[in-house]
Amino acid sequence: MAKDMTLLWGSGSPPCWRIMIALEEKNLQGYNQKQLYFEKGEHKSKEVMEINPRGQLPAFKCGDKIINESCGVCFFLESKYKSQGTKLIPDCDAEQALMFQRVFEVNTFGDKMGNVIYYNWKVPEGERHDSAIKRNKEALTAEVKLWEGYLQKTSGGFLAGKNFSLADVIVFPAIAYLYRFGLSEERYPKLTEYYKNLMNRPSIKATWPPTWKETPGQDILKDI
Amino acid sequence: MAKDMTLWWGSGSPPCWRVLIALEEKNLQGYNQKLLSFEKGEHKSKEVMDVNPRGQLPAFKFGDIVINESYGACFFLESKFKSQGTKLIPDCAGSDNNCALIALIMQRVFEGNTLHQKMADVFMYNRRVPENERHESAFKRLKETLTTELQMWEGHLKKTPGGFLAGENFSMADVIVFPSVALLLRMGLSEDKYPKLAEYYKKLQGRPSVKATWPPTWKETPGQELLKDI
Repeated sequence: MAKDMTLLWGSGSPPCWRIMIALEEKNLQGYNQKQLYFEKGEHKSKEVMEINPRGQLPAFKCGDKIINESCGVCFFLESKYKSQGTKLIPDCDAEQALMFQRVFEVNTFGDKMGNVIYYNWKVPEGERHDSAIKRNKEALTAEVKLWEGYLQKTSGGFLAGKNFSLADVIVFPAIAYLYRFGLSEERYPKLTEYYKNLMNRPSIKATWPPTWKETPGQDILKDI
Repeated sequence: MAKDMTLWWGSGSPPCWRVLIALEEKNLQGYNQKLLSFEKGEHKSKEVMDVNPRGQLPAFKFGDIVINESYGACFFLESKFKSQGTKLIPDCAGSDNNCALIALIMQRVFEGNTLHQKMADVFMYNRRVPENERHESAFKRLKETLTTELQMWEGHLKKTPGGFLAGENFSMADVIVFPSVALLLRMGLSEDKYPKLAEYYKKLQGRPSVKATWPPTWKETPGQELLKDI
């Protein structure tokens, strides 16, 4: 049950947020949780390393079962709690297949976003190149346009069609991250419409990153 | 069923190989398939772009359904053909043991992504990074990162008895991760430095689904030595 679960998380981190949304959707409120701060290096603390030797968040325990991969936790929760809360894996073949396609595209989306937002953090000063920064921005632009296109082509308001699914649990936090870092709302109307709709969903409101309520975002992505 | 499926694939590519293994394990032999060559740029051909606008392999169609993410195709096949072939993900409901098993399978399946990324960062370095942006320091760091990652997997295999990534039974974790392990060895990973990985590789080499889908180009040419110092 929820009280046998523990989640160590950081505010705004899409992988952490995915799990929090999934827990809400599966009516598993009441889980133990601890908010940690990347800036303070708490993801490398002993408490985290004991659950996740990779020193990364999220770190998740359910009884003695440990899963530190956000998508892994989401699939696990849907499997174990299939009969409660929101059905996150559609029954219909076409919708289910599209859900799987979008879920697993999140990796490339997240990578391209990280390559722009965290360029200076990832690349030591002596190895940075303007040509690389430019290329990374172009790659992210192409990726965001692809997702805008997906939402144009998929009617129903959610990523896999007319029902909220694991695709939304897993991808929405990454999309929200784009806006937090300054993505232009006007340039990507379908993405913006999606973002604003989902913002109001109870599971998402309940888990909105606390630090995002306290401080303004950045505008690194305003030219994307 | 299988005859309504088409897979476009490249020899030796772990993402492609995952889907090939999954199809065998689920008894879906008889699917349509087309072997393409990355070296000739065929992954960017119109035929592939029509199915996968990203111009990547694998590209997979099943009737009107298109899934171009290897994990997505594997999960979909397991879901739709749950009751045939090998069970790649157990059912959770009612069994605590199965729940623990699912948790471990999911952990390894998704860590498989990290493993593959760190491998690709090394062997694709020159292809991805333009010459004027390459740095010895960067390449060295990528190799060190891969070494740490491989030591972690060596540790995973030491701690999990049974011979497969999630214990005693072949599972989705092996479908996803074995092709990457095989590629590591193909690229010269030292069997002496990584005895558990080598043992795992040799064990899975004998599995029918793996034998049936062994990369054809690997039978024709010798491997490389790129990773011998990892």
